[in-house]
Amino acid sequence: MNLFQWATGLQGYLWVSAVLLCLGILSVLSRKNAIGLLLGIELIMNAAALNFVAFSKFRAAAIDGQVFALFIILIAAAESAVGLAIVLRLYRLRQTIDTDEVTLMRN
Amino acid sequence: MPSGSETVLFAFQCITVLSAVGVALLPNVLHAAVALLFTLVGVAVMFLFAAADFVAAAQVMIYAGGVTMLVLFAIMLTHFIYKAKLKDQGMRLLVPGIVAFGVFTLVYRGLIDLGRWIPQNAPEKFAEFSSSPKTAAIGDALLGNYLLAFEAVTILLLGALVGAVWLARPEQ
Repeated sequence: MNLFQWATGLQGYLWVSAVLLCLGILSVLSRKNAIGLLLGIELIMNAAALNFVAFSKFRAAAIDGQVFALFIILIAAAESAVGLAIVLRLYRLRQTIDTDEVTLMRN
Repeated sequence: MPSGSETVLFAFQCITVLSAVGVALLPNVLHAAVALLFTLVGVAVMFLFAAADFVAAAQVMIYAGGVTMLVLFAIMLTHFIYKAKLKDQGMRLLVPGIVAFGVFTLVYRGLIDLGRWIPQNAPEKFAEFSSSPKTAAIGDALLGNYLLAFEAVTILLLGALVGAVWLARPEQ
């Protein structure tokens, strides 16, 4: 089996999805900027949706995985709307969106 | 010799992975948001090749069209564009890198095994699934088996949007 067949089958989808998940985790853990953190969460959600769609095609041959992917997209939209509203509010109150400087609830 | 569609899908998989690396590692958040746009379009093309035409269209419209624009607006509203502060300085990479790599190894090993365990459907059903249009089937599923989840998501979206508007309201 050559590289192209491997990459376009189920394994290729799972591989890309695992890479997106780990880059998302890296982004969430390493970024100090609150918006950069939200970008990482989007990556993680996309990895999950990709897995649902890939298993739906290559294993089940049923529509259910795609419905779950749609729900993931909708929930990600709601999440980013609320997250960005919180970021804007934070910027207006504290003039910063650096997560290290927002320590009001520490201790 | 790979076929044309295999080549296209492989190219978009490479674009997805490379731009996702950009999202995670680019120091400038504005650049990372633009890289996220490429990742989302790449994932949409992968959806398309996995027989998910409706999900791919929703991904382009909601994510690439909506969420990315929202993020770009938020970046430009919270920073003066010429400010050097736009840079995400002092990213701590060592410990997050180890954690992410560990998660990757675990998840990928687990996924390989999972892919072997889950049985495949009959080939003729598989071919029929790959070639049939999905919009009507998804509509049936949303108003049939998944009606409760559908209603819950609509209420969640309404609540989230009202909450977002209330949070971002101007000061009195």
